[in-house]
Formats: sequence, structure tokens, C-alpha cells
Amino acid sequence: HVVRKFLGLISSHNIPVYLIDPLILGLVDKDIAQIRSTPDGPSPHCKYFCVPRDFTTFALLDKTWKHEVGLFRTAEKMGFQWLKILNKDPRLDGMDDLSGMEIPLHYIFKLASHAIHLVVFYERSGNYLWHGPLRLKQHMDRKFVPFRKLHFGRYPGAYEKPELLHVSIDDLKVQIPKNPSSFLEEMSHSRFLECRYREARAFFQLYPDDASLDAVEFRKKAKSLLHLAALTLNNLGVKFWLSSGTCLGWYRQCSVIPHSKDVDLGIFIRDYKAEIIPAFQKAGLPLKHKFGKVEDSLELSFQGEDDVKLDIFFFYEEDDHIWNGGTQAKSGKKFKYLFPKFTLCWTEFVELKVHVPCETLQYVEANYGPDWKVPVKRWDWKSSPSNVQDNGVWPVDEWDDVIQIY
Amino acid sequence: MDEWKPNPAVKPHKKRSWYLAWKYKLMNQRALRKLCQTGAVLFLLVTVIVNIKLILDTRRAAYEEEEESAQDYDDEMLNVEVPRHPVNNKKVLDVEVYSSRSKVYVAVDGTTVLEDEAREQGRGIHVIVLNQATGHVMAKRVFDTYSPHEDEAMVLFLNMVARGRILIFTIKDEGSFHLKDTAKNVLKSLGSQVAPFLSWRDMWTFVGKKGGEVYGEKHAKSPALSTWGDPVLLKTEVHLTSVEDAECHWPDTELNRRRKRFCSKVEGYGSVCSCKDPTPIEFNPDPIKDNKVFDVPVAVIAGNRPNYLYRMLRSLLSAQGVNPQMITVFIDGYYEEPMDVVELFGLSGIQHTPISIKNARVSQHYKASLTATFNLFPDAKFAVVLEEDLDISIDFFSFLSQSIHLLEEDESLYCISAWNDQGYEHTAEDPSLLYRVETMPGLGWVLRKSLYKDELEPKWPTPEKLWDWDMWMRMPEQRKGRECIIPDISRSYHFGIVGLNMNGYFHEAYFKKHKFNTVPNVQLKNVESLRKDAYETEIHRLLGEAEVLDHSKNPCEDSFVPDTEGKVYVMFIRMEQEADFTTWTQLAKCLHIWDLDVRGNHKGLWRLFRKKNHFLVVGVPASPYSFKKPSSVTPIYMEPPAKEEGAAAVPAVAAAEQT
Repeated sequence: HVVRKFLGLISSHNIPVYLIDPLILGLVDKDIAQIRSTPDGPSPHCKYFCVPRDFTTFALLDKTWKHEVGLFRTAEKMGFQWLKILNKDPRLDGMDDLSGMEIPLHYIFKLASHAIHLVVFYERSGNYLWHGPLRLKQHMDRKFVPFRKLHFGRYPGAYEKPELLHVSIDDLKVQIPKNPSSFLEEMSHSRFLECRYREARAFFQLYPDDASLDAVEFRKKAKSLLHLAALTLNNLGVKFWLSSGTCLGWYRQCSVIPHSKDVDLGIFIRDYKAEIIPAFQKAGLPLKHKFGKVEDSLELSFQGEDDVKLDIFFFYEEDDHIWNGGTQAKSGKKFKYLFPKFTLCWTEFVELKVHVPCETLQYVEANYGPDWKVPVKRWDWKSSPSNVQDNGVWPVDEWDDVIQIY
Repeated sequence: MDEWKPNPAVKPHKKRSWYLAWKYKLMNQRALRKLCQTGAVLFLLVTVIVNIKLILDTRRAAYEEEEESAQDYDDEMLNVEVPRHPVNNKKVLDVEVYSSRSKVYVAVDGTTVLEDEAREQGRGIHVIVLNQATGHVMAKRVFDTYSPHEDEAMVLFLNMVARGRILIFTIKDEGSFHLKDTAKNVLKSLGSQVAPFLSWRDMWTFVGKKGGEVYGEKHAKSPALSTWGDPVLLKTEVHLTSVEDAECHWPDTELNRRRKRFCSKVEGYGSVCSCKDPTPIEFNPDPIKDNKVFDVPVAVIAGNRPNYLYRMLRSLLSAQGVNPQMITVFIDGYYEEPMDVVELFGLSGIQHTPISIKNARVSQHYKASLTATFNLFPDAKFAVVLEEDLDISIDFFSFLSQSIHLLEEDESLYCISAWNDQGYEHTAEDPSLLYRVETMPGLGWVLRKSLYKDELEPKWPTPEKLWDWDMWMRMPEQRKGRECIIPDISRSYHFGIVGLNMNGYFHEAYFKKHKFNTVPNVQLKNVESLRKDAYETEIHRLLGEAEVLDHSKNPCEDSFVPDTEGKVYVMFIRMEQEADFTTWTQLAKCLHIWDLDVRGNHKGLWRLFRKKNHFLVVGVPASPYSFKKPSSVTPIYMEPPAKEEGAAAVPAVAAAEQT
């Protein structure tokens, strides 16, 4: 009933919202074929919206509307109480000293015992949608609704731009994501981490950025290599994250470290696909070397434009830690790099939506030790990392297989 | 000169209100009432007498007022002592105004609202406008009335201030040299008695209400041409009115709320704050058909010139096909008033903490603004870049909508600009004509995102390099031989006369006579011929058609070009190599077009109009079009005048300003 009123309100103001309520989308998903086939069909009884719950969640694309004052006045006339949660615009966060107006991140419209949670999505560089965290300011009514039960807002989130579908559910016309199940799957790992812009600025105060032409050129190449790698792996459906130096660059300075000379990615070995190598070759990145094998210490390296290389490390999960391997070509020596367990979060890096370990600090500290904040130009991958362990030597008869150099 | 106090006509009004206030208060206090009964009767008696006397006074004062102008204002000192009792329901502001050769200040209730003792600046008449209900500063201006035309600007400003506002004037250094009678009369009509007689290096302060009472005026005459009048300090009090009285009663709409917020804070915007007939703040210009730039973000780069910004945004929001949601105003610094203007129009604004100084500061502001624009509109392939001192042509977006696909498809293009450096009233003719030029004019232009992100942003000059962003963008390392598309008749007009490297003289010489398109929906001609190769074909066609002018005549003379219309003429000038602009510069100078650096050229060819004929200038032998020169024609050579001392420094600075 409240939903009906709300939809009346927003349609009277021409605001294109879409349903993202996980509970309802879950129910809808079960009958999706039928709902799709009869977009205007009447339904006998209230099957979806009448399920008992405290909230119904909708999404709104920021760029599709602007005039909110009128909306609130009408909402009040209809008996709604409303709450608006503003915060600073993350799209300006990375910029030195810009201060824009605060932007609305969430709206809550309450009528009797039911509330509508309207999440505002913003487009960001990297062709994705972002929603903000829900944080109450000092003066706000903490009991307006049971905030903890909201499905969105505990963390910021990143999503692909959804394809939408007009449907009729319980005689209500709404828009829903075309594929509710994949939306729900996306929602379960949508957590987004903002780059630490303030810390990055402090870092550059301490260690001024390298503005040489070489640095500019390297960054440009690294960026385009990363874009190409992301495109290739995303097309294969292989999940990857920023690792090693690239991850450190993101975490410490929100940019590519100019003296790092390569781009590093991590992939869980369970996500390994044989098509990875041919796909990169097709994208114009020839295989430079392949160390290890799928069962142990796999590591791929592709040759990018002028000397910039792309290293892909495969990570192996154990009960209490995660590790990846390293191989010294001339001696066949094996190394093992240990990390505490981590999950993956989204972030934005060089205009790309990419994964990083959510527990980034632990990850970076494991790899670079407690002094990771201090730039080091001389780096030896066999001895410098603080998480490196000797891991024996490859048997000589396997060398042809586990040490391939092109 | 001593204290000079208000007009005698004011006196009775004040006394009466003082009395009424007390009466009101006493009547509301029961305990006091009985005690004071006797006193009150006595008091009443006294006031009756006082009132009768005051009525007489008023009549006399009114009578005197007619003769006042003839009197020497010194006489008024007799009326100085008006006792000032605290008035209960009306707040009183203490106002202090100081005028001297090297320093001015204004303090309101002990708070300094103006202080200027900087050397070599702030000369002229400083004007402050206070809200008559709150006492807040609504506007602060300085008019350098030592220089020409500044008095006109002051009159314009004073006329825009709403009735009832409190005006404070003070002179720093010199404010009379170009203060003409019109301006003096306006000051007189505000109640100043000194203004009509203000002369060379006099010191002067004045406080009055627009259309109402005078709160004080002080003046010190300069004894001799070589010296200044003694500093004067005026101390006076101003009575505040109720907030109700200071506001207009517009219908309660969303737009009017914005208007009200704006008008209660700032002054000097004229009819936008008119109670009776406010000018609209929403324009709803016609959309344009198949608008290719509807989703292109527009970045307005602003500093602290809110009146300019106001004028600029009005013209921008009135341009057909504008999409206000795509506009962001970037303000260089934490200035409130520009932000107020942005909010008045319901646009979004971003403030930028200034880094670095002068040109480098502008340059850093540009970078931050461009980066932020592409962050805020990640889907955008282009951004329109505007500045706060531009008028925008009604067909600005239509012009871009018709040409933007070229920027997308033709890699040899650097930008599309709305400004033709050489498009003056007497040299531009055809609103449907476009050119390709090797220089980047700026002043309203379109930037390709890929150019910015891949090339410019990563190596943008850092703050310690004190570079102009536009000079930097014009350098061959950045431009890489690419060209810009410009219209023959500009789609922007540069009206700013106050700015970094900018002054009235410079503006008059180089910008005032610039042609600006006012025709809506101009259909551009032959847009496809602007592509790299097609343009060469087009030029060859033009040159083939062109009639060679008589090279024995003086090209500066009007008679150089026959009295025809619609023909194409060509002339050849000497240009030894690609960078030899000696003759061109002299020609530009005598044609009264941009001559401070080389603009508007395409492979040693310039295109403009003279007497409504298309006029082509080819530099021989550097230009590839030199082969069109008949062998009988000797290219014209014009010698630069002998260099004057220090002359070289002027163009360098001036050229920097053009964008």
C-alpha cells in the first residue's frame, strides 16, 4: 500500500526509480519468466509487495532527475515523513582542494510502519554506478527507522549499469533489473572502497611526485595496459585484483608508482582458465614467461608496450592463509609469498572499476612490511618482500614445463 | 572640517519614534504604571510642547531645504547636535568611515568591513551597501573615478541598488578627475551636498539611505594641486528598519525563494531584485533540434567577479539548447558572492582553494576544473569550457551541435572555439562560415576528453611553473600541429575589462569592436569541408576564384579593396619562413585587428572580410599556397617601426590575457 502511494508520488514527479529490494527481487526472480512474458498482466493477489517487511528499497540514477523540492512537498501532503542523507561528493574527493556542494546519497520516506529506502546511484569514471554509505549526522533522528536493517548503506557499493525491465508486479508498474538473480549476486559483493586521497596527499607532501616526462609516459602506458588487461579478463569472466606494487600504488598514493615498471594483478587459482593466455595474445600482449603450473606457483607475464610488463600471480587458498609463488628462472628456485586471508572489494583506479583486497592494509603490510609508506626504488622480489619464504627447487625434469621464457 | 550631522528634516521623526517607543513600553508595565502616572502626565505635557515645536521646525526645515543647494554646506554644522537616545525596538549601527590619500576603511559596529591601505591600488570611490534591516554588507565596490568611464559604471551600479539600502562612500587617493556631472548629480540626489563640488584630491566620506535620509557627510578640500586634502573620519549612526520592510513580497514559489535568498544577501544586480517587476531567473530558451551537445558538460571558470558571472550565466542560460543540469561553475577561491549567483540560477558550483599565484593559480584552477568536470560526467566525450567574462551567443549550442562531430572524427583537430581572434565588426561577415586555424583562441571552446586525459592532464604545468594554461596549450609540444575550428563571426563576446593582465584601454583596443552573432539558428555552411583534406580542396577552390588585388597600392588604405560586395580577393605578403610574421603583424596593426601575436592563420593563409568581400592574405614564399601568386606580383613587405624602449614587454603581457 505504501509502495503504491510512493510509486504514485514519484511517477507524478517523473522520477525514474527502479526496484532493488533484495527480498522482493528474490521472490520475483522465481517467477521471472512469467513476469517477463506478461508485462501488463493483472495478478490475482498481492504476492510480492505484501510480504511482511519494514522497508522497500528503490534505486534512483542521479543524472535522471534534479528538482527535489516539489517532491518533498507533495510527499508531505501525502503523509510521508522523509529523511535525506547528504554527504560530500566522492567524485571530487581525489582532487586537491575542491569543495562542491554535498550530494544526496539516500532518502527515506516513511508512512505509518513502512518505509521506502531510495538509494541514489551516481555514475563514476570507469563506467560504473556508485552508491554512498548511509551515515547519520549528529542532529539526525537515530530512530527514524531501524537503520541497521537496511539492505543498502552499510558500505558504499559499486555496480554495473543495469539493464532495466518494465514489469507489472501485483498490479503495480515498476522497473526492475532485467536479470534479478545476477543483480542480487552482484549486490552480495558490491562493497566499494574509496581511495585514501587524504593520505595520498600527505604522502606526496613528504615525497613529491615524480613529474618527469619518463614518469608521465610510464603512467600513461601502465594505465592503458591495465585497461587492456581488465577488458580481457572481464570478457573471460575472470575475477582479478590489483596486487603487489600496483596495489601499493593505489593504497599509498592513489596512482601508479612511476618507478615500478610493471603492472601486477592477482587471480585466485580456482578462477584460472586456459583461455587466459590466448586471450591476452589476441589482445596484443604476447606471453613473456610462464612459471609454475596450475597445481603449484603459477605465474604469467605478458609483454606490454615498450618494456612495461603485466604480471599475473595466481593465489592459492589454504585454511588460514593465502599464498602465491615465485620462481627464479636460472636456478629453478621456488619462493612462496604468504598473505592473511582476504576478501575482495571494488575500488576505482585510473578510471577503472577494479578489485582490491578489502583488508588492504594487512595485504600491503604482509607484502611490504611496516615501512610500506616509504618509497623504495631498489626492490628485489626474491628478498625484499617481508612475506617471502624459500620453497625449495623445481625438479630439473619439470623445468621445461614450469620455466617457460619467450 | 568638523562634524557634519544629518539633515534637520529628519529630526522630528526620530524624536517622535523615541517617545512612542517609551510610551509603548511604559504602558505594558503594570507596576511602573501607577508610579509613573504623575511623571507620565508631565512627560506628556512636555512632549506636546516638544511636538508643537518640532512641527514648526519641520516646516522651517522643509522651507530651508529648497534653498539648501545654494548654501555653503559648512553652514549646516549649526544643526549638528542631534541627541541620540537608545531606541528600544530599533537597532542602531555605529558606522565609521575614513578617507585619506593612502588608506580607507569602513567599520560597522566596530567590525571593519573595508580596509584598504595597499599601495598603488584601490584608488577612487569605494562604495559599500548595507542591508537596512540587518546591517550586513551586501556589496562592496571601488570605482576608479580618476580614470575615464569608471563614473559611468558607478552610476550604473548605484541605479541598481534597491531603495532603502544604506550606502557608504569614501575616497582613496583621488576620485574626482573623471567624475562627470551625471555621476555628481546621482550622488547629489542621494543627499550628498559635497559631491557637486568634489575636486582634485579632495577627501570625502558620505553615509546615506538610498531614497531617504542622510546619516553624515564629511569633506576635506585639497589646498593645492600637489597635495591631498586632510584625512577625514566620519562617525555616525544608522537606524535599522524591520526585516519586513527590507524585503519584497513576491509570490512564494521555488524560484522566488532563491531570489529572496539572493536579494537579501547581495546588492548591485538591479531588476532581479525589483519588488514590482523582477526580471526572470529562469529562461526556458527554445530547444534545438537534434541537439548533439545536450549531454556535453559545461564548465564555467570563475574568479571573484560575481557581476560578470551574473551577466555571463544569464546569457548562457538564455542560449537555445542549453541544458542547465550539465553546467558546473568552478569558483577560484572561497568567495561567497559568486556562489550566491550560482545558487540564484539553481546551478551547481564548486569552490577551489587557491594554490599558487597569479597566472599559475589560474592555470591550476583550470586543471582542477577540467579534471572535476570529467569526474562528474564520466560518460562525456567532450567538455565546453567557458569563462565568467563572456557573453554567449544565442546560437552557441546550435553552432557546436552542428560542428562537434568533426572534433570526434577528425584527429587533426585540437578544439572547436566560439571565438575568432580576427573577427571584428569590420572584418567578419558571414555567420554560417567556419575556418580552420593553427592557433587556439579559447574564450568559449570545446575540449575532447581524450586530449585532456591522455595528453594534457598528465603533464599539465605544475604550480611552481608560472605559466599561463592557454599559452602552454598553444605550444607546439602540446598542439602538435593540430588545428581549431572557429566561426567567422564569434559566438562569444569578451566583455571583461577587469582582470589579470586586463584593463580598460586594452579592452577598448582589442575586444570592444569584436563582432558577436545575435542571429538564432544559423545553419552552418558546408561543415564537411572543414575536415583536413576537404579544407585544402576548399582553399584551392577559393584561391582559384580569388581576384588578385593591386599590389602597388597601400594595403592599409580602404581603397586597396574595390568597392564591391561578395567577391573574393587575395593579396600576397612577404613571409620568409614559417615563423616570419613581420609583414603580417604590420598589416594586422593597420587593419586594427589582433596584432599582439599571430592568430587565425592556416598554413600561412589568413581569411577575413573587408568591405563585405572575402579577403585572403597569403604569406610568400612560406605558405604552400604561394604558387597561386602570379609571377608579376611582388609580395608586399611592411617594415616594423623602430623599436621603442620597453615596447616589447607590453605585447607579451597583453597577449597572455586573450583567453
